[in-house]
Amino acid sequence: MRVAGRSEVRLDIVDKVTGAARYASDAVVPGMAHAALVRSTVGHGVLRGVDTAVALAAPGVHCVVTMADFPDVDPFYGEWVRDQPFLARDRVRFIGEPVAGVVADTEEHAHAAAALVVPDIEPLPVLGSAVESLAAADLVIHPDRASEDPELPNVCYRSSFEYGDVDAALAEATYVHDATYTFPAVYHYAMEPHAVLATWSSDGLDVISGTQQPFKVRADLARIFNVPLGQVRVRAPYVGGAYGSKGQSKYEPVTAAMARAAGRPVRLVISIGDAFHTVSRHHATIRMRTGIGPDGGIVGRDTVITYDTGAYADKGPRVARKGAYRAAGPYRIPNIRSVGLSVYSNRVPAGAFRGFSTPQVVWAGESAIDEIARHLGVDPLGYRRQHLKRRGEPFLGDDSPLDADLAEGLGVTAEALGWGSSVPTGRGRGLAVGVKDGGGGAARSEAEVRLHPDGSVEVLAATSELGQGAKTVMGQIAAEVLGCQLADVQVRLSDTAVTPFDRGTNASRSTIGVGAAVERAAEGVRRQVCQAAEEVLGISEGLILDGSDIVVGEHRQPLMELVCASRKLPPEEIGAYSATGFSGNPTGSGPLGAAAAFYEVGYSAAEVEVDPETGQVRISRFVSAADVGFAINPAACEGQDEGATVMGIGHTLLEELEFVDGELVNGTLVDYRVPRTTDLPDDFRSILIQNRDGPGPFGSKGAGEGGLLAVAPAIANAIADATGVRIRELPLTPERVWRAIQPVEPQES
Amino acid sequence: MQISMTINGAEHSADVEPRTLLVHHIRESVGLTGTNVGCDTSSCGACTVHIDGEAVKSCTILAVQADGASITTIEGLAAADGTLHPMQEAFRQQHGLQCGYCTPGMVMAATSLLTENPSPTEREVREGLEGNLCRCTGYHNIVKAVLAAASGDPASEPALTPVDVTAGGQR
Repeated sequence: MRVAGRSEVRLDIVDKVTGAARYASDAVVPGMAHAALVRSTVGHGVLRGVDTAVALAAPGVHCVVTMADFPDVDPFYGEWVRDQPFLARDRVRFIGEPVAGVVADTEEHAHAAAALVVPDIEPLPVLGSAVESLAAADLVIHPDRASEDPELPNVCYRSSFEYGDVDAALAEATYVHDATYTFPAVYHYAMEPHAVLATWSSDGLDVISGTQQPFKVRADLARIFNVPLGQVRVRAPYVGGAYGSKGQSKYEPVTAAMARAAGRPVRLVISIGDAFHTVSRHHATIRMRTGIGPDGGIVGRDTVITYDTGAYADKGPRVARKGAYRAAGPYRIPNIRSVGLSVYSNRVPAGAFRGFSTPQVVWAGESAIDEIARHLGVDPLGYRRQHLKRRGEPFLGDDSPLDADLAEGLGVTAEALGWGSSVPTGRGRGLAVGVKDGGGGAARSEAEVRLHPDGSVEVLAATSELGQGAKTVMGQIAAEVLGCQLADVQVRLSDTAVTPFDRGTNASRSTIGVGAAVERAAEGVRRQVCQAAEEVLGISEGLILDGSDIVVGEHRQPLMELVCASRKLPPEEIGAYSATGFSGNPTGSGPLGAAAAFYEVGYSAAEVEVDPETGQVRISRFVSAADVGFAINPAACEGQDEGATVMGIGHTLLEELEFVDGELVNGTLVDYRVPRTTDLPDDFRSILIQNRDGPGPFGSKGAGEGGLLAVAPAIANAIADATGVRIRELPLTPERVWRAIQPVEPQES
Repeated sequence: MQISMTINGAEHSADVEPRTLLVHHIRESVGLTGTNVGCDTSSCGACTVHIDGEAVKSCTILAVQADGASITTIEGLAAADGTLHPMQEAFRQQHGLQCGYCTPGMVMAATSLLTENPSPTEREVREGLEGNLCRCTGYHNIVKAVLAAASGDPASEPALTPVDVTAGGQR
């Protein structure tokens, strides 16, 4: 291959190193006003009214809106469960929930006026966590919504999977490992906070937003404001990081509402502090019971996962369902039962976050397997390799068979760490594997490729450029298929009025979904060029494009001439070759409703040192491996894997959103500690496993989430190896580790 | 208040409110949006610019404090003919970015780092960039880019020495 498989320099790189790149927060249109939101300072209460009079009279204010100003709209959004209004209607359910919006001539005026808005809220008792919500039978966060479970009125969604007879298997097991693990709520910290610019005109609604899912946002806006899809345009410029935090609707509906009320374009750019109060990763408590038979085999696993979804569903139900499914893990276990609960509380809503439910269950599963191996007195690597599912074996139920060699991949990772060689004094080693069904379920992706008669190429594909390098990879796919240079390809950013449909940039699905659509569209264009070459030249075998020329064997001529000759038109009239392509997920039912398109696999291996005086964990060596099928751009794949690993180190050692009675008390970057350069492992390696066994172009699989999945258990397993102490609660802060490794638990005074 | 400063070689005078932060002045009054805002607590470094040759987080000072200063932003780093600064070239060659939001600040901080220490070790690069956050890359390629720029060949593959693997827990 000429272009695919090479670490081509990113197509967006010059924009991004020179400051020319434009993000939604940089977007400006003539006549634009600025918005600020008024947020609830009460965690749970009845919203009796909002006094906007003083704010309305403040300097520069165009309008102040509350939900009372929008009696004609259906204000609710949310995936599967639509329960979140874009402004609080009759209740507030978390501190930070928007209750009013102010539009003014400048951002300063908007913020100054927002401070003058006075919500009248009658407080209700706060349910500060999922644990409190489950215990409360008479305090209901969404009283107008029927619960999944009449006994547990605050359950937003319940999902379960059952295969075989778990109770019998555990009763007959020679050893039952029973442990409860917790995973913290964590924050995405996309460095660009959410930003939206909305404009209403006779053309309809035009929205510029740093969103992962422009078509999903379009559908939400069309429904909420009762506007046809064709009159809603959503554009996603460069996005300053997302990691799940910019999926479905976030601030697009409220900004569109403010723009409608103000009668002019409105831009809303929220602060990082407010972004902390927008969406998070689910806190989870995982109780996992694993039965072991007399030969050491795993006979059954019974898991209950409680995900704290916070005040609104967002993507919580889907998280609970996928988490329950993935809790079964990648091992041969004949009897499985998993229950996933998405539970409301008066916390910041939790939704999608890179790995989508999986880091939580892999944390439990891969800690448990390690504990079991140590209990049995066997090597944790050998034990895993013995019991991991094999390539081609059914994953779960009638889902797609496993498409990776897990034992081999884990072996490669362990070998790179030096597994089996002597461990330096004071250190320990651990490893883990994480698997998630990739692709995010059944969805259609479309793309269009145009070849202009001067040899330049345009790719229209609605993958948001979040930093993952989609723009470059889509260009490489098109260039490879067309036989042209990457430099001649322009990949347009997402614009629902221009780029064909795609469900969204999530679930590691872009390369296998949109990428496959680009591949087919490019094949369509190539067929047209080859057909013209056959007609005009009588040959097309091995045709390539070289700048503005075509080259077939020894023959070279301008593409323009070929098109003119073929279409019998002068140069200014000949148009372009263009074709659309589409892809859909494989057919088949599968336990999740659609068979997995592929399995995303991440391997982690760590060597750590624990300071006995402080409990500080130092990662001396770390190896991450990603099974990507085929790396269309290896540098981009490695970058995704490295970034995912360091993000995983964050929730393993540093990060936790802390709530007191539902109030987020560390919602700033001063109090909430994300990884810095000095938190990098001393020695850090990333390995790409490529067997060209994926469903995407050239055998590629999706990537970008796998590197995160197994980081926490790999490090905790290494700590256990170093200290003999098992910790089942994240993050592994110095205090938590220090307390755990004390010979005797210090007495509480 | 009336202030005047040189930004990327051009003189800019403006009447600003005393409380206006330099970063807002640069982005809104001057219209140079390459300098990004990534936090509200001076934690992230996305807004790093050079003031009289030194890297400063432009959210930490008021515009009036920069009155009379010479400021370079990311837009002023490349040569007039578009030739990238060696640090920009190194980020380009080493895939030193993903979403790009931290990049302007990271590049400005890194150039300042090399001014102070032209031949840093990997450890010194990591410590020197500790005040600049990146959530995408895991920093690995950013560190490589700075080392490559320091080597004088932005395209070179820097030899990454494991950082103090034998130092027994010293950080």
